[in-house]
Amino acid sequence: MRSDSSSRACRVMLSDFEGPLDLLLYLIRRDELDITLIQVSMVAGQYLAYIRDATELNLDVAGEYLVMAATLTRLKSRSLLPSRREGTDESDDPERALLRQLILYRAFKEVAADLRENEEVWRDAFSPPGERQRFTETAREFPDNQSGSLMDLLEALESLARKGEPAVPHMIERPVLSMAECMDIISRAMPPGAAGRFTDILGEKPDRRSVVSFFIAVLELVRRGWMNRTQDYPFSEIRLERTRQWA
Amino acid sequence: MGMTLDRLAREVEALLMASEKPLSIERLCELTGAGQEALEQAISRVEDALANGGHAMEIAFLAGGYRMVTDPELGTVVSRLFEGRRPGKLTRAAMETLAVVAYSQPCTRAHLETVRGVNCDSAMKTLLERDFVAISGRMETPGRPLLYSTTAGFLEYFGLARLEHLPRMDEIGNLLALGADDLEKAALDLSKERDDES
Repeated sequence: MRSDSSSRACRVMLSDFEGPLDLLLYLIRRDELDITLIQVSMVAGQYLAYIRDATELNLDVAGEYLVMAATLTRLKSRSLLPSRREGTDESDDPERALLRQLILYRAFKEVAADLRENEEVWRDAFSPPGERQRFTETAREFPDNQSGSLMDLLEALESLARKGEPAVPHMIERPVLSMAECMDIISRAMPPGAAGRFTDILGEKPDRRSVVSFFIAVLELVRRGWMNRTQDYPFSEIRLERTRQWA
Repeated sequence: MGMTLDRLAREVEALLMASEKPLSIERLCELTGAGQEALEQAISRVEDALANGGHAMEIAFLAGGYRMVTDPELGTVVSRLFEGRRPGKLTRAAMETLAVVAYSQPCTRAHLETVRGVNCDSAMKTLLERDFVAISGRMETPGRPLLYSTTAGFLEYFGLARLEHLPRMDEIGNLLALGADDLEKAALDLSKERDDES
């Protein structure tokens, strides 16, 4: 019954499966086990062998398969422990939770197959004149006067991005004054030992950007301990004093 | 048969031929000014005329409305018209994802991934693009995740009149609602039933 020794070539490739649950269902079906009667650990070994082979063949094994491998390994080790009390909740029985997941997934797999049959028939029924619109590449119109969905919005955004117009260059202007330039000016306005007001440094009619530049420079000078500052209350005049540390 | 259609039946036929989506009986009433019962009879007169005349068109009841469709048996020829422009059949991943949305809608992406045990991003992208699934709201839980539902286009594509006509609707609905114990029992009963049938 165990097929760990079967040749790799005969094995179905991982890429044939829609994920770890699909692979587990395949293993259960192949061994003709009844999903309602099995212990998942009965097929855990074969699952792990699959993953091991795939990894050895350097195939890209999706993370989900590895997570399931870890879960199964844990279940296997649990099953080796002395059996626990009956009647535990699903929440503390990972095996039951996994079985539930398998049963549910199998049901969806089956109805997906039913839907496939519908697709086979109805795909070949064409209707006028919608099909003509549906299959053209021109943009879909908004249905009636209803507002568009999020998907419409994303499509519209994408089509804008595709237009291929050169992006409008975004100019980043150099700050009027660099930090070094500001310090230089402050140094000249306030020779060693001198004191003064912040507004004195700014000169006449300073623009907003140079105020900011000078203010940052002053903060930097204070941080370095090259200047002392005093301010009586918020927004009042800032008084500056050059320290000896500023050589 | 040489049978000629009356005015109302011809109006119905023309409307169904020109409409780009299924027309509900209410909409047909609005458009023709006729009553519901009269329209239902007119529809079956058109159906009879099409069938008796050996026409390639028939009337289907899809997504809550009437729709003129070509006979699927002629699909091979008609699909040549759309060669290279026609989207392919859904992949298994997309089909499974769509099934989960259809039976558990509205549902979150997290629900889809729990049920299928794999990431569903690329399947969902296809389903959203093909307009089989749409965002239908947000769940009022932390993070307010988006909720997805199927569209009228989904029903049409699969030849369904309404969601309740999905195969095994009750059964799957029960499975989704059951806890682990009951689920095992239900699955057991089902496999017994199947054995009995075969």
